[in-house]
Amino acid sequence: MIRSRPVRRPPLGVVLVALLMLALGETAGAAMSRLKPEIQRYAAARIAANPAAHGFSGSAEYDDEVRDRAIFTAEAGLSFFHLHGEGVGLVLFFASALVAAVVPGRRARGVLYALLTLGGLFPLGYLVYGAAVLELGRDAGVELAEHWILTPLGVSAIAGLAGLALALARRRA
Amino acid sequence: MTEPDSSTWGVPPRWVLLIAVLSIVAAEVGGGAMGRFKIELTRWARDRMLAQPSVHGLVGVRDVDERILDEALVKFDAGLRLFHMHAEGMGLVIVATSMIAVTVIQHTAARRAIVTLLTVGGAGYPVGYLAWSALIPTYGVERSKTIAEWFVWVPFGTATIVALWCLAGFVAVRTIKSES
Repeated sequence: MIRSRPVRRPPLGVVLVALLMLALGETAGAAMSRLKPEIQRYAAARIAANPAAHGFSGSAEYDDEVRDRAIFTAEAGLSFFHLHGEGVGLVLFFASALVAAVVPGRRARGVLYALLTLGGLFPLGYLVYGAAVLELGRDAGVELAEHWILTPLGVSAIAGLAGLALALARRRA
Repeated sequence: MTEPDSSTWGVPPRWVLLIAVLSIVAAEVGGGAMGRFKIELTRWARDRMLAQPSVHGLVGVRDVDERILDEALVKFDAGLRLFHMHAEGMGLVIVATSMIAVTVIQHTAARRAIVTLLTVGGAGYPVGYLAWSALIPTYGVERSKTIAEWFVWVPFGTATIVALWCLAGFVAVRTIKSES
């Protein structure tokens, strides 16, 4: 029988972020399903409260189309949050477990944990995406979330994963 | 089940890992079957729906009925796809979260309860999508969704969500304790 030696785990703070992303992702999925009418009503109310941001013209036909598109985009933000919360939570968990197990050097591990954990917060960008679309209008909201949250956190995740790949390649060599 | 240790991973019980792997296998097989037997599955669902026109609101006018059948078939296909996606994801969620639970939770009863909820909830929830798809031809889109929701999604989904938040609570407490 082959028995492996005990495998080191990542710090609990990193594990907690991964777990919170999974829990938030699951909860968002349930909310999307059970509270769809309430979410749509809330989104419509927020859009009505910010007519200038959405470029309402006073023409009912045009305004209805703008409102429908904004609600659809806000719901898409919540749907992306559900999907990415589950996926990125798992990526953070397994990647940080690999860092703990195979990356030598406390400082290198610390840098990779920090990058991966920041990247693990990436799904929150989609919550901001959904909320910002309602408050600032569709294009401005998407731009804000992409530029200030999704891009930096996504880059952090990519850098962390690239660092892990590099560490694994150096370990093999 | 291995006893929790401060700096290394605990290994979840074998039955938990087996269920997680079976969930992933079922997802893979489901994905493969969807691709390989797409025409046969669509034909089966369509024939079943045509055999029960009143359930689906078919009126005998081709233009109207084809639109209704197409919409139901899209949902039938979506149910299979969502089963494929969720069973793969939840299999991995079971592995990850049960590892965390056996590593972090020291109280035996709490650890067992959370691992059981995570495993049963995680493996059961995706089956709801399969049930939804299978029931659409017989009961219609909305009625089969209600059945899947109350018999599968709500109980199993709730089990998973409750267990995840409890586990997050345990990890948060351990994190705070280890910091102080």
